[in-house]
Amino acid sequence: MAFISSGYNPEKPMENRITDIGPRKYDEFYPPFIAKNKGKWLYHEILEPGVLVHVAESGDKVYTVRCGAARLMSITHLREMCDIADKYCGGYLRFTTRNNIEFMTDKEDVLKALKADLASRKFSGGSFKFPIGGTGAGITNIVHTQGWVHCHTPATDASGPVKAVMDEMFADFQQMRLPAPVRISLACCINMCGAVHCSDIGLVGIHRKPPMVDHEWADRLCEIPLAVASCPTAAVRPTKVEYKGEKVNSIAIKNDRCMYCGNCYTMCPALPISDGQGDGMAIMVGGKVSNRISMPKFSKVVVAYIANDPPRWKKVTDVVKHIVEVYAANAKKYERLGEWAERIGWERFFSITGLKFTYHLIDDFREPAYYTWRQSTQFKF
Amino acid sequence: MTEEQQKIVDFLKGKTGKTKFYFNDFLEVFPDKGPRDVKKVLTSMVNAEILEFWSSGSTTMYGLKGAGKQTHAEGED
Amino acid sequence: MAKHATPKLDQLESGPWPSFVSDIKQEAAYRAANPNKVEFQIPVDCPDDLLGVLELSYNERETHWKHGGIVGVFGYGGGVIGRYCDQPEKFPGVAHFHTVRVNQPAGKYYTTKFLRELCDLWDMRGSGLTNMHGSTGDIVLLGTQTPQLEELFFELTHKMGTDLGGSGSNLRTPAACLGQSRCEYACYDTQDMCYQLTMDYQDELHRPAFPYKFKFKFDGCPNGCVAAMARSDFAVVGTWKDDIRIDHAAVSAYVGGEFAPNAGAHSGRDWGKFDIQAEIVDRCPTQCMSWNGSKLSINNKECTRCMHCINAMPRALGIGNERGASILVGAKAPVLDGAQMGSLLVPFVEVSQPYDEIKEIIEKIWDWWMEDGKNRERLGETIRRLSFQRLLEVVGLEAQAVHVKEPRHNPYIFFNEDEVPGGWERDLEAYRSRHQR
Repeated sequence: MAFISSGYNPEKPMENRITDIGPRKYDEFYPPFIAKNKGKWLYHEILEPGVLVHVAESGDKVYTVRCGAARLMSITHLREMCDIADKYCGGYLRFTTRNNIEFMTDKEDVLKALKADLASRKFSGGSFKFPIGGTGAGITNIVHTQGWVHCHTPATDASGPVKAVMDEMFADFQQMRLPAPVRISLACCINMCGAVHCSDIGLVGIHRKPPMVDHEWADRLCEIPLAVASCPTAAVRPTKVEYKGEKVNSIAIKNDRCMYCGNCYTMCPALPISDGQGDGMAIMVGGKVSNRISMPKFSKVVVAYIANDPPRWKKVTDVVKHIVEVYAANAKKYERLGEWAERIGWERFFSITGLKFTYHLIDDFREPAYYTWRQSTQFKF
Repeated sequence: MTEEQQKIVDFLKGKTGKTKFYFNDFLEVFPDKGPRDVKKVLTSMVNAEILEFWSSGSTTMYGLKGAGKQTHAEGED
Repeated sequence: MAKHATPKLDQLESGPWPSFVSDIKQEAAYRAANPNKVEFQIPVDCPDDLLGVLELSYNERETHWKHGGIVGVFGYGGGVIGRYCDQPEKFPGVAHFHTVRVNQPAGKYYTTKFLRELCDLWDMRGSGLTNMHGSTGDIVLLGTQTPQLEELFFELTHKMGTDLGGSGSNLRTPAACLGQSRCEYACYDTQDMCYQLTMDYQDELHRPAFPYKFKFKFDGCPNGCVAAMARSDFAVVGTWKDDIRIDHAAVSAYVGGEFAPNAGAHSGRDWGKFDIQAEIVDRCPTQCMSWNGSKLSINNKECTRCMHCINAMPRALGIGNERGASILVGAKAPVLDGAQMGSLLVPFVEVSQPYDEIKEIIEKIWDWWMEDGKNRERLGETIRRLSFQRLLEVVGLEAQAVHVKEPRHNPYIFFNEDEVPGGWERDLEAYRSRHQR
């Protein structure tokens, strides 16, 4: 392949350079009926799972078809989306915050054809390319991180467990039978790029072993002070060790202080943290972002550890499915998972779900831990 | 190189064992300047190819261009 | 024929949910066939090698990626994440596989023209694999090599009129809900504010000089569809000051069963007849509503704008007319001191172009945090370390009861010396004239 220049001149990086222009302006991409009715919407309705209508003061109606997607997608898939949007939607489409794709039209007959077309498309392996759903009191797409596909500190994969969980929960992506929406998120390590800390169900990759120290390479690959400074718990310190008869500069890890965050590995490739035996997932539940009825809440850990079990993470999907079923059977209409757990009490959450409560689930991390213990004689036997 | 730029180069060359520094570390070089003015000096040095950025993904540091170990290790010089 | 056998990943091709494995295989096949005669600038078989290295991870349960310090393009301190494979001989196509973040348009609407141009660019200069979108909101172009970074940037800026997003210790790519473009709940134009602030703070976005990352997110209402309160250092959440608008005829239509409650969101189960007393009045967290059998009344003074009644009866109830936003600051994910939710700083601010009042608050916070924040300390942690009072002082706001859920639990109050008559320098002799030793 011959190198093809864009016009950029590496000898003179500032020549013809355009910088600081920001994103394209949002309104360049509005479909005409959106541009026309912006700020003048009266109400909306979910006509069926995955299909919304928004009605404007002008009387205009806009139909939206929401489709699930793997957020890791190819340009071939994107081009197929563009073909669909060109055919039915005047060349416009949008994505949601939760990695769904939305196709819009203002014509009811187009809506019908669009839905049929989307539902008919499948990948060669048999999965849907554009499953319609993800609205209302059901399960929508999972917000997630990179995992083994692209990250250097993951304790689990992201795309794979997401696919496994969504396959298991697919019926609830396409129906609205739950008491309230259930938002599932996945972060492949505790740094939580995916911010699963406020989700109804959060799946979080966790390491359980401190990093190893590659004494031969530490001083050659890394600036040791940077690795030391990167540790949030001061578990990393510089040291000199005997390596093959020579004194070398290296690093020592105070294992009992390590919270397995991987920040030192980011700074220093001689401190690998990944471990096939140690790594796995914790399951958190009961968080939410919305202010509806109760204030936003953090998710709480209800399963401390499940070993990674690729490709389908069956134990994880079983627990998720089970929690959703118990919630669906017991919560009141409009009650989010966390609101339900708080109403019945977390001790009842564990007894009713049959999840085992272990000492790992009592918070012992710094000051906020105390506020999670029970300062009362009120509890349920 | 301006006097201010030279101060930063001197600061960096005066440190051993570490070639990359957080923005805040440069504030001590100019006790009388606010962060925004210090940033202007650093930006001018990046544009003049005296300094370069290094990122952990979540945080960013500044160092003298070409200093450090990892770029060599990955064959990216 | 696939380059690497991937029996584990192949098991993720079945099942109804869109399979990323099938999609990557589709891209690998397309590149191998190359029907459009694209002059690929990075290895043709990088999607195959990505599947190969992922299969290896599925067997070993360990990642094979290393971080690299590459930050972006010349002059920028963010926008690119460096990635190297730790098995480069086995998977040369992904040996160097850097991510490029492209600033998405606010609200994530696109024309197919724009997306096709992006696809063409990434076809030639990258792996053909993307994330639509990353967690913070960017378009993520997944996997290219260093020599392509400047070329990509040149084409993005010259041909597509679009810029890179943020990474590292800078302003991260701001994100907004779709707001007024298609939602009746939006209390201000989230997309416009997001766009305007992104433009006004380009230097902060591209040239990192903060102690750590800083995120803006803009939610149009308290439902919080972009999770501003949970995920951003500076969250602007739409709200209103006056009364919820009521269309009494429409309320009756809900009660009479003509309209589906909650916009039809519960239609998958028979929850029984809509019961306005049980579902609306009794669920109101402030108990500020009443139903006398024919008319719904709201004591708006007691309403905390939780959105429940509006969400449940969108055709009958609407957000008020005196609209603006609440500002909450300091949210973050867990590391280090645990997750933090945004704390209410400005109960109500009018939101209109050019957003000067809000920008003034932002800049005061930045000046303080840049000066007093420690390295790798998020704003929320700085506030915890130096106190909420200090934040109020920095921003120039009076303390109000709404700033807290409840007052402090202890009387260990740090008074300022000038608050106490006579100050702290006291006359010992005068004291001794009243008290023996």
